[in-house]
This record gives sequence, structure tokens and C-alpha cells, in this order.
Amino acid sequence: MIDLKNKKILITGASSGIGRSVAILCDELGAETIITGRNEEELNNTHLLLKNRSKQLTADLSKEDSINELLSKIPSIDGFVHCAGIINPLPVKFIKKKHIDDIFMINFSSAVLLSSGLLSLKKINPQASVVFISSVSAHHPYTGGSLYTSSKAALEAFTRGFALEASAKKIRVNIIAPALVRTNILEQSEQIYSKEEIAEIENRYPFGIGEPIDIANAIAFLLSPLSGWITGTTLNMDGGLLLNSK
Amino acid sequence: MNIEEFTQKLETEFEEVEPGTLTPDTHYKSIKGWSSMHALIIIAFVDAQFDTILNGGDLKSASTIRDLYNIVIEKTK
Repeated sequence: MIDLKNKKILITGASSGIGRSVAILCDELGAETIITGRNEEELNNTHLLLKNRSKQLTADLSKEDSINELLSKIPSIDGFVHCAGIINPLPVKFIKKKHIDDIFMINFSSAVLLSSGLLSLKKINPQASVVFISSVSAHHPYTGGSLYTSSKAALEAFTRGFALEASAKKIRVNIIAPALVRTNILEQSEQIYSKEEIAEIENRYPFGIGEPIDIANAIAFLLSPLSGWITGTTLNMDGGLLLNSK
Repeated sequence: MNIEEFTQKLETEFEEVEPGTLTPDTHYKSIKGWSSMHALIIIAFVDAQFDTILNGGDLKSASTIRDLYNIVIEKTK
């Protein structure tokens, strides 16, 4: 049985989707959560669903000042789950530096800066567990996703480097690479892609498109002592999608 | 940018469309080989030229290039 009692867990991107699901599950498993997100109202909606002690801190991870402020306000933690992320699909020929900066700041740099800050401020306890979110698309491209997938591939590489250094403190670092999960990011795609394209994509999943709780369950396991021998790994979660790819 | 210019520039961005194929009244989703890439190009083109973000709902509600143009103009007012 996964037990997260007496653990303080920081969850970014907790105002929706996978982050919200992680917050609710960690809370149910006994953890004290520190939830952050950009949208105060939605973050508050997550907060209302939590029963244990929980701290809610609005933060805009696209700004370094906001990251530093967040770091200054949190207690020492036993778990860090970085769910904040943006997709911003863009064909290659339209990419400008601004687009690279925007997507890398949220998806990659904020994860790195929070990790660095947690270590330097000694706000991450020995035996802690860190979980990042990548995407199967880091290795399997899709149209318009070159920047997004690059940022996730970078985060996967960072995970291994961070895991190596953090192992001295018995801190574990892993990353989950999900395929399509039913969140508002998918809803946005449903407006761009045609019904036929969406149906074709759904048909490629033997176990259907993922739900946020599917990812949250794996994250809870990675946060718990049950996964105490696992670090530096990328866990693909794809409902069987890649079984069909060559 | 007037509607003729808008249509012409969009046609250039689509690349694989024969020059002179698009008119303001073209139902753009029925052009040959229409795919999500075209939708992404429209969104990126409008962002670059008008500093305005079209969402999927905007694309859904617009049938012709004129509809698209009108949405963009309305959004930039």
C-alpha cells in the first residue's frame, strides 16, 4: 500500500490536469501538500478538494523572481512533482527566439531552477523523491511539436544528471513520459485537429487515451519508499501506443 | 492589411497551394490536402502578423478566409 504520511510534497501545475490529480492523490495518501499554479482561482479549486494540511502558493514559473519567491515560501520537502508545462504548437518556420524562451522557461528552466534552489537552500530532505513529466513525443515527433518535444527531451537528460548528483544525498529523481492524457491540453488540440484525426489517434491506443489519475498513480509510487531502488529512469506510459510503432 | 493581402500572404504560407487558388471566399478547410498543419500555420501566421492568438474555437467558427479575416480584425480592435 502506498503511504505518503509525514511527507511534504511540492506540486507545480496543480491548478489543473495531471498536477491537480497528483495533489488530490497525494493528499488522500496522507501527504501534506504545497500546491502551486498560475491560475489562482483554479488553484483554489484544487485546494478545496484537499483534506490534509495544504499550502497554496500562486506562482508564475515563467518568471525567475516568482520562482525565487516560491522557493523562499516553502518548507523543507520530501517530494517535488513538476507538472507545470505548456504545449504552444508551432510549425518550425515560424519559430522565433521568444517562442523558444517561453516554452523552455516553463517546461525546462523552471524545473532546473526549482531543483537548484531546493538543493542550495537545503529545502529538500534526504530520501526525498523528485518526479518530472516528459512526453512520449520527446522521442516520437508530431507536427507542430518540435519545440515542446525538445524541451521535454532536455528535461529527460537533466533528470539523469540531477539523479546522479542527488544520489549522494539518497534523493531519487525520475521522469514520466506519458502519451495523450485527457486534460484541457487535449481539449485545446481537439479544436485544432479534425474529428477524423482525433479518432485516428484514439484508435492507436489499445488501452485508450490516458486519464490524469493514471499518471498520478505512477507518480505516487515514485514518491513513496516502495520505489526506493528506482532513480534516473524515464517511465513511458502510453496505454500500449508504442507497441504498434516500429 | 486588407483582405486581398491577407489571402495572398496566407496562400504563400501554405506553400503547396497553387498560386492564385485562394480567394477570400474559399472554404479553406476544403483545400486539397488540408491537415492540422494548415491550422497551425494559420494560428502562427496571425500571431506573427497581428500579434493576436486565434484559438481552436475561432478556427471552428470560420468557414471562409473572409470569416477568418473578420475574426482577426475583430480581435485586434
